[in-house]
Amino acid sequence: MLDEGVIKAVLTEALATGGEMSEIFVEDKASTVLRLDDSRIEDVSSGRDRGAGIRVFAGERTSYAYTNVLAEESLLDAARAARAGLDGEPGAVTADLRRPEGLPSHPVGRPPEDTDKAEKVAVLQAADESARASGGEVRQVVATLMDTRQKVLIASSDGRIAEDDRTRVRFAAQVVASRDGEIATGFEAPGHSGGMELLDRFPAAELGAKAAGKAIRMLDARPSPAGQFPVVLGPGQGGVLIHEACGHGLEADTLVKKASVYADRHGERFGSEDVTIVDDGSDIGAWGSFGVDDEGTPAQRTVLFDRGVLVGHMSDLRSAAKIEHPPTGNGRRQSYAHLPIVRMTNTYLLPGPDDPEEILRSVERGVYAAAFAGGEVNPATGNFVFGMSEAYLIENGEITHPIRGATLIGNGPQVLGAIDAVGFDFDRKEGVCGKDGQHAPVCNGMPTVLLGTMTVGGTEA
Amino acid sequence: MSSDSGLLPIAEGLVERARAGEELEAFVTHSRNFEVKAFEGGVESLSSAEPRGAGVRLITESRPGFAYTTDLTDEGLSELVEEARTNATFSTPDEAVGLAPEWDEPPADVPGLLDLGQLEVTPERKVEFVLELERETREADPRIRTVEDSVYADAISEVAIATTAGIRGGFTQSDAWCYSVAIATDGDDTEVGFEFDLARGLAGLDADTTGKRSAARALDVLGAQKIPSARMPVVLDRYTAGQFLGVIAGALTGEAVQKGRSLFAGRLDTLVASEKLTLWDDGRVEGAPGSGPWDAEGVPTQRTEVIQNGALRSFLYDVTSARREGRRASTGNASRAGFKSAPGPAPSNLAFETTGESRADLLKGAGRAFLVQDFHGVHSGANAVTGDFSVGATGRLLHDGAPGQPVKEVTIALPMLEILRGVVAVADDRRWLPFGGSLGGATTLIAEMTIAGS
Repeated sequence: MLDEGVIKAVLTEALATGGEMSEIFVEDKASTVLRLDDSRIEDVSSGRDRGAGIRVFAGERTSYAYTNVLAEESLLDAARAARAGLDGEPGAVTADLRRPEGLPSHPVGRPPEDTDKAEKVAVLQAADESARASGGEVRQVVATLMDTRQKVLIASSDGRIAEDDRTRVRFAAQVVASRDGEIATGFEAPGHSGGMELLDRFPAAELGAKAAGKAIRMLDARPSPAGQFPVVLGPGQGGVLIHEACGHGLEADTLVKKASVYADRHGERFGSEDVTIVDDGSDIGAWGSFGVDDEGTPAQRTVLFDRGVLVGHMSDLRSAAKIEHPPTGNGRRQSYAHLPIVRMTNTYLLPGPDDPEEILRSVERGVYAAAFAGGEVNPATGNFVFGMSEAYLIENGEITHPIRGATLIGNGPQVLGAIDAVGFDFDRKEGVCGKDGQHAPVCNGMPTVLLGTMTVGGTEA
Repeated sequence: MSSDSGLLPIAEGLVERARAGEELEAFVTHSRNFEVKAFEGGVESLSSAEPRGAGVRLITESRPGFAYTTDLTDEGLSELVEEARTNATFSTPDEAVGLAPEWDEPPADVPGLLDLGQLEVTPERKVEFVLELERETREADPRIRTVEDSVYADAISEVAIATTAGIRGGFTQSDAWCYSVAIATDGDDTEVGFEFDLARGLAGLDADTTGKRSAARALDVLGAQKIPSARMPVVLDRYTAGQFLGVIAGALTGEAVQKGRSLFAGRLDTLVASEKLTLWDDGRVEGAPGSGPWDAEGVPTQRTEVIQNGALRSFLYDVTSARREGRRASTGNASRAGFKSAPGPAPSNLAFETTGESRADLLKGAGRAFLVQDFHGVHSGANAVTGDFSVGATGRLLHDGAPGQPVKEVTIALPMLEILRGVVAVADDRRWLPFGGSLGGATTLIAEMTIAGS
């Protein structure tokens, strides 16, 4: 993407007045979005975004400057802007830039850029038609097909150089249904690191019908009861709970600042023997995967909780240096316009020994959470709240009525302790995680799980 | 209202590339951004940049296409128009799609968008400011264990628009903001507090007050507990009232209603709220973050009464959603997230009109109530399509207007229309919150909500 001579000149310029390390991140990203709404293809957008960011480490301070002009003179200007305020001796740039080997590679079967947009249009129309054919209650369908190809290059004065080529495709269907003044929504949005073959695994028509089915079912929902209940998390989307309630608190930047409820608690038991949680940026083809992270560290699998015991954390270069551990490949940035920060990739609660059907049968009265709309957690306290977008009552071991307006409220460390059973099934859901104003594609996965007693918020006191 | 870095000629050059029969809208931006973060008395990071880019919407035979680029060379701009032209061939013809009509006269300026003094503020002064913010937060109380984030940031942003309909315009605005996140600990209890400040320049920001308030928001809820489930009056403070406005904002556009994605659909000219409630949108409020002389399509901004004394009077429109209803005109509510996004309808500055009380009087009138200082999980527990609202809350119990027992880990819930119908008073303490839009939060009393606790 850039000549090594230019790279070295920029890294050298960035260290001309001091600092321990300089780094350049170069990005060339092409994006396409097609959106169907109201049965019309309303939006066909594409864009090209190129730029580079230059970072200088000097003591406790990180300085950053970026440009979206990739000419050498602009890059040198950015290097000078990044080192502004420093007035020390020039730092050294290693002559020998080394590339990491054996990086995970995420195959692209059918590259989106080689796919005719007419074919993409047909995919959206298929989802619309199947959703509308699912029932007269369907009022509105939005289908979106997004693909990006992001090429990055990272090089640093201490000798790192790495490139990555990331293609991601995501397909989303959102359905609104109504009957007798009641309105409900259904949403499905699979994605992966790979090409258009995503749609072979998740055919558009099936996806549209699935989202519509959910919206129609939720029309019959009653107000959720409020109080303390056992909660069964369905496979897949309950993973957002793990992401929010456990993952964010194990991002090393929050640990370093002692802003995490998990700080200084490694080795402590939080859950049963069946609770093992990993973050795995190397999972082939997963939505949150890559070859190297945005600082050039190879993607890896990190065990966070091993059979109930807190053993791991996730870090980028800076937080890794502070806690004196090797970086775990979790330094990610939204684009060249952002400083890297510690982010999750694909975060999974691994399958356990229990039969999912038995788990359900063991509950006399409780709530089954089939899908969450999202959630929020405070890493310092571990407190979280999740809204359920699809939930049901469990009565005498069986799923009965859909309920609406249900939220799950609790505390991260406590919820791990509340995991009473872990199913042998597994599913994953893709999403976009926001932190410090930056967005990153992440994936969450888990089996069916029983939480002993949880606070459920609802409108029926 | 000048654009001195040559953006308008770039936009005009894009318009000149349109072929006969094509409509084209070019939107070009250039900004100068700066951000500094402090931690434990030192600078943690500094970031600066001058990003620029262009977005083109091209309509041919009623088919819209959109493309953007950061490559503003002649060749890059020609490719940009060609890409938008290709994209247009794949969209569905839609008679409602169109560009804003040419101005009869240029829209009046909104005074004060650009703080000229901000152009002279040195990076050293910005560093000094953020260090003061960090220190004021940390030293506010011995129970402040750490200050997770202290941030100062600013931007000088220029935009230019040119269209084949004849619109030519450009303006420059400055923004500066700061925030800090305080973590307070007392015994086993840990709470987090966040406060921000927002102005046209650093001179308008207050590091001292912002830092102390961040700390206070954490300290206020130390010792918080669950309370038994109950129904009781609820007071939203300025922050949570703004969050609630942000939830209903998405349901107030004409587009959301036309597409069946609004809890307000079919309710025009009916009572949707308490008769005490008036809700307006105004893109020309001085000092508010969502203000400008014209919107993202070049339509002059205006004030729109959305709810008047409880009755739903109007939705908010961009050009396309307005044209879809025949002869209706845009209300100047097109918005876009920079040059990379095509315009779409959204509120500009949205606010409840005050019912006249001071905050103190409102609190006194609330009796025994729950004062909500923070919502959790709003983006998942609140749905502007269905009107469901069930979110986590932190705050304090009020006794005769005085905040008492701190409360956490409870959920408050009520359908949104019932919340609007339950509004008893809106205090006169409005502030603008930049939460995914510009929202005027004021202390608000709601007659009764369900609180789920222990």
